[in-house]
Order: sequence, then C-alpha cells, then structure tokens
Amino acid sequence: MRTRTESLAGSIRLLRLALRRDRVRIPIWVLSTAAMVGLSAGSVRDLYATAEQRSGYARLVRDNAAMIVQAGPGYGLDEPTVGAILMNELSVWILILVAVLGVMMTTRHTRAEEETLRAELVRSAPVGRHAAAVAGMAAVAVAQLLLAGAVAALLVATGYGAAGAAAFGAALFGVGMAFAAISLVAGQVASTSRAANGLALAALGAAFVIRAVGDVQGGWLSWASPIHWGQAVRAYAGERWLALAVPLVVCAALVTIAGSLADRRDFGGGLLAQRPGRAEATARLAGPIGLALRLHRGAAVGWAVGVAALGVFYGIVADEAEQMLVDNPQMADYLAGLGGGSIVDAFLATGTLVIGLLAGGYLVSAVLRMRAEETAGRVDPLLAAPMSRVRWVTSHLVVAMSAAVALLLIGGLAAGVGAALTTGDGALVGRVGLAALAMAPAPLALGAVAFLLCAAAPRWAMAAWALFGLSAAIGLLADALGLPSWVTSVSPYRHIPALPAVPFRALPIVVLLMVAAIAAAAGCIAITRRDIGRV
Amino acid sequence: MRSTESVIELRGLRKAFGTTLALDGLELEVARGEVHGFLGPNGSGKSVTIRILLGLLRRDGGQARLLDGDPWADAVHLHRRLAYVPGDVNLWPNLSGGEVIDLLAALRGGIDRGRRAELIERFELDPRKKASTYSKGNRQKVALVAALASDAELLLLDEPTSGLDPLMEAVFQDCILERKAAGRTVLLSSHILAEVETLCDRLTIIRAGRTVERGTLAELRHMTRTSYTVETERPVDGLATVPGVAGVIVDGQVTRFEAAPEAIGEVLRRVQSAGVRSLVGQPPTLEELFLRHYGVEPAAPLEPSGDAHSH
Repeated sequence: MRTRTESLAGSIRLLRLALRRDRVRIPIWVLSTAAMVGLSAGSVRDLYATAEQRSGYARLVRDNAAMIVQAGPGYGLDEPTVGAILMNELSVWILILVAVLGVMMTTRHTRAEEETLRAELVRSAPVGRHAAAVAGMAAVAVAQLLLAGAVAALLVATGYGAAGAAAFGAALFGVGMAFAAISLVAGQVASTSRAANGLALAALGAAFVIRAVGDVQGGWLSWASPIHWGQAVRAYAGERWLALAVPLVVCAALVTIAGSLADRRDFGGGLLAQRPGRAEATARLAGPIGLALRLHRGAAVGWAVGVAALGVFYGIVADEAEQMLVDNPQMADYLAGLGGGSIVDAFLATGTLVIGLLAGGYLVSAVLRMRAEETAGRVDPLLAAPMSRVRWVTSHLVVAMSAAVALLLIGGLAAGVGAALTTGDGALVGRVGLAALAMAPAPLALGAVAFLLCAAAPRWAMAAWALFGLSAAIGLLADALGLPSWVTSVSPYRHIPALPAVPFRALPIVVLLMVAAIAAAAGCIAITRRDIGRV
Repeated sequence: MRSTESVIELRGLRKAFGTTLALDGLELEVARGEVHGFLGPNGSGKSVTIRILLGLLRRDGGQARLLDGDPWADAVHLHRRLAYVPGDVNLWPNLSGGEVIDLLAALRGGIDRGRRAELIERFELDPRKKASTYSKGNRQKVALVAALASDAELLLLDEPTSGLDPLMEAVFQDCILERKAAGRTVLLSSHILAEVETLCDRLTIIRAGRTVERGTLAELRHMTRTSYTVETERPVDGLATVPGVAGVIVDGQVTRFEAAPEAIGEVLRRVQSAGVRSLVGQPPTLEELFLRHYGVEPAAPLEPSGDAHSH
C-alpha cells in the first residue's frame, strides 16, 4: 500500500505544472474544435430544415459504402433528424481529432518529457515513478473534459437536443481517453517521443480502417476499433449509454498495463533497446542532403506504410461503392448531376483527397522538424561549418517535399492497385496514381508556407498546423456544410481538380506551384536575415 | 608580445534581445597564433559573442572582424577556416558519435583519417554508440574530436571541457598546446581557471556585456596589488599612508598588507628600517583576479587604487 502511494507522490504538483505548460494549447484545441462543431451544427440545421430535405439526404447516404467508409454506419437515418445527420457528417472527424489530442498531449507530458534533462531533476525530487504518467493522463482528461463540454454546450446552444449533446460529449471524452491510454503504452515501448507518437497514430489509422471495413460489412469487426466505441453511443439516434463503458474500461486496462511496463524498464529507456551504430559514416551521410535523408527517413517510411495501407483499403472498397449503384438509383442521378463521373471515380477522388491531406500533414511535421533542429541547438555545428543557411534549409525542404510527393504516389498507386484488383480494371492503377500525384501542389504549398513561417516568424511556426487543420476541415466538410467559397478557397486542396472524377485543369496546379515556389524563396531570404537559435 | 595581425577584432559590439541588452560595447582582440582566454561570469555574454562570431546572431552595433571578413556576411567562407565546440553539445540522437564526426568533417571538406583515429583513441571515445546514449562528457568529446581533427586555423571553444574528467582535461590541454605550436589560434571561453592559466597567452574578462579587463596574465597581475606578509623587529611606520598600499593588518610583529607595484620601493624602505626578519610576497591568483572582476571581493577587501579596474 505504501509503495502504491509513494509511486504517485507529487502527481498533483505535476498535474498543475502540466496544465500551466498547456495553458495556451488546451484553449486552442477546445476553441477550434468547438468552432468547427458550431459552424457545422449551424449549417446542417439550415441545410436540412424540412423533412423532405432530410429524407433526401438519407436516401443518398444510407447503405452507400462510400459514405459509410467516410462517415460511419449512419445510425438514425431511418427517420433522420438534424442531429443524426450532423453526427453522420461530423462525428468521425471530431472523434479522430480528440484521438490526436489524446495521443499528442499524452506523449508530450510523458515520453517527450522523459527525453529532456529536466525530467531527471523532477524525478530526483520526491516524485513517484508513476507520478508523471498519472499527472499527464489527468491533464489530458482535463483537456478532453473541457473540449467535450464545450462541444456539448455548443450543440445545445445551436438548438440540438441535450441528451444527444451529452452523449456525443461523453463519446468524445471516452475515445480521447482511450487513445491517451494507447499513447501511454506506446510511450513505454518506444524510447523516443517521435516513435511513441508514431505507434499511437498508427493505431489511430488502423482504428479508422477497421471501423470502415466493419461498418461496410455490418458485422462485429467495428467493435475492434476505438473510433466505433464513440459512434456506438449513437448520439441523436437512440442513445446507448452502455457503450461508453467500453472506452473507459479499455482506458483503465491500458493504464494498468502501462504502469506495469514502466516498472520493468529504465528511466529514459524503452522496452526496445538501442543498437550500436557505425563507427564511421558512410559516403551517403556526407553532406546536408545525406543528413536530412537520415533525419527524415524513419518518419517518412512510417507515413508511407500508413498511406499505402489506406490507399489499398480505399481501392478495395471502391468496388463496393460500384455495386451499391445498382441498388441506389438516386445516387446514380446524383452523380450524373455532378458531371457524369462514375461512382468509383467519385469515391477514388475522395480517397486521393485523404491521401493528399496525409501528405500535407507529413510535410508540415517534416518542415517543423527543421525548426526543432534549430531550437535544440543541433544546427549550430552545421552552420559553424562552411555551409550556408540556404543550403541547410533547402536540404530539409528537398528531402521533405520529395518524400511528400513519394507519399502521394505510393498512396495513389496503392489505391489504384486495390481498385484494379477488385474491379478488374487495370487502367485504374495509372489513373488513380496520377490523380494522387496531381494533388502534389496542395501539400507542397502548405509545406512551403509552413517553411516561410519557420523562417520569417519562428515563434508562430506552430500556426502551420492551424493552416493544415483548416485545410483538412474544409476539404472533408465543406461540401456537406455548404461553406461559402471565400472560406473554402483558403484551402489549397479546394483548387485541385478532384481527379479522377472530373477533368484535369492545369491552371490551378500551376498557380499553386507558383505560390509554393514564392513562399519557399521568401523563406530562404528570411532565414538568412534573422538570428539562429531559440529566437 | 602582441602579434601585429589580429584574427578576431570586436569593437563596441552591441546586441539586444528585445529589451534585454546582452552585449553593451564589448571589445575583444585575438592575435594570430595565440590562445586567448575569454572569461566572465555566467550570463555575461560570452556565448552570445561567440554566436555572433559564428554568424548565428546578428550584431546590433559595433564592428566585428573575423579572420579577414565579416562574421555575418562572410559566414560560409570564414567557416572553412574555423572549427567550433559548443559548451552544451546536442547531437542527433540516432546518429553514432563516429557518424557525427564524419558528417561535420565532410561539411568542412574532409578529414585526416589518421588524426581522427588518434584523437578518438586519446579521448577514449567509443564512436559506435548512438548519440542518445552518450553522457555529457562523451558528447563533448565528439565535438572536440570533430573540431580538433579539422586542422582549422581558428578554434572557437565555448566552455569546451565542461563535463570532461581530469584525465580528459589533460588530454585536451595537450591537444590545444599542440595546436598552438602548429601556429593555430584559439579563443577559449572557460570557467576552469587552471586550464586558462596553463593555456592562455592573453585574457579578456567581460562582465554584463562589457570588457572589463584584457591583457596577459602578467599584465593583469601587474595591475593588481600583491599580498605581502612581513615579520619585523619594530612596527612598520606609516605603511597605510603609502599610496598604493591597502588592507594593512598588524598582528604583533607580523604585518599583512597589499601593495600596488608602484608602491613597492617605498614599502621596502619602510619595512627595512623596521628591521625586517622575513618577507613573503604572493601575486594574485587568477582566481582572485577573477573574483574581483566577477563582483565578489576576495576575503580581504581592497580599496580602489585609482586605476581603471575598480568597481
């Protein structure tokens, strides 16, 4: 009993420290998510005001594999209410958002903290072995509660029912905490914060795919996915409160597992041991490009595996979408109205958008890596060598941007191969591959702007994530919510023709590439004019 | 003593971070072929100065010349000729020490394999370990080997031996003396005074972003009073009234005082006439010099002797 309390000594203090460190981050997460929900809630309420509009939506969406993959099983669409429609449009994305918050924030307060030298100072004080983990989880719980509460309050304020709002808020909290616990376990296995985040986000990717396959099949497979646990609460579709027990029980179990893993490992180490490296550098490492390749290699390979898996998945499901067409004449009319593309093409265009967004997310994180190198002081010895700043930044940009384009190609080809295998149409491989490649200007523009921020306004470098988040939200939700075009035009992805569903247009591609080139060039100029370091 | 060509020349250097003034008219001159000690309390601006010399920070005012160029504008060109060791070495966690050494060398345009091997052996470094598993001292060794293997004409060392054990400290001192014998120039920022005393020809002491003292160790000592202990048959007459003498303490037949060099003649005359039995003079240690300039006075308080370095 004594050891149990001792291992938690100092938790309260550490919790206060964690909340103090995140006093800006948590409000940003809460407010931006709440804003997104509020905006969507308002649009859905207005777009589907009449029963006729609502049943029209339901006819288009129900039993439509393409929609099920993106949105979920579509609970409550038999007699659709605005609440059910809103949940179908929004819930999966907000669940993913709280999962990302859970993963990133947990790692930030546990494994990432352990990598720093200050963690030893903290541990040398009378602070228990599990105090940091408990404090970190408690801080995440506070953030998730605030977020869930804000979302629920906003739903009620926009005129949605209170029971559904409470159910959705509770679902967000449960799923967010389940992923926090997954991240906590990942932080015991991996010895670096990047690897821990990578493992936990890979679990999130797998959770998305598993629930998509499960929802399309309509079987029990979905229950293997934490995202489904949130949707299974069925907010605004005859709430099933008992489903909430699943994420909370799993969270408790994972926290226990993490605790026993922590007892078995060294402070600062992971369960996976470090191997010795080379005594001498190979010729490949000689120079800035070699170093950048080495630094970006691990993350790029991880993203490539994820994108390839998602691509294959989208490709294989595309065939299901086509079979649905036979049963759903409305959908055929809808697509005909869109300009005559096939439903497979429309579905694959959504797939390439998701792959493009992932490539953009990778590129933003890779560009910010450059800034991390600078603040950690690792760039000083490089710049103390006869290497210009421009050469340093271009080495990172060239490697990161090439990797992003490679991700697009890998994801596109994987989707094409998946679709070709199930539909028997071999030409899809090239078409979808090219469609994904045509996405390139959007992530490149995003990456170049992120770089410009790092170079010209390094304190605001993290705002690149806001830009990415906005682009993703617009890309995935704009059509369903009927957002005005001046809002949607902020996202570079909106300007790319939705291949292969619509014909190719070169102009927006060229304009976006020019934006990227100008931002990159401006960044190269800005970086030579400022102080290097923790500016 | 002073070579005609200076390798580093900083005049009235100023640098502000927001409203905080980091450097406020700093002066530094390092002659070719010398090992120059760069001293000052924590936060006095040593690292900022070195980062300006490296072109990582931009000066807000004053003149700076490094080798034959401007440290900001000609950074890349100048860096071919210098090597740098930071006091807080942060390395890429997934690269081994050997890889880091080779990478930095490759950026500088190659490395003498023999010297690399020799230095790794002398510093007892395991080049196969990943940087994330090195101790602070070992990370420091990686940076030292990379810099010393480069044969650069100027070494900028910012507390390069923090974290080294005494054996490695001795190896480091040998290496620096070898570099000096080979005609290389070294700017050494350090808090290890024995190291500075052994290695450095000249010193610059800074405080709060300003140069408070510079010169050879002998010159600096010359400007400071030496402590004397004399034993005399009779009390020494009027010692305290001699200009340049301070801190007179009489303890029976033993008198302790401090005297500036210009007062020595008069002091000796008076001591002699008091029937001197023994006389011991102790020049100020670097530590005493240091403490004076760092703002903490040594045990016996000194009165201002009228020259510039009082405070």
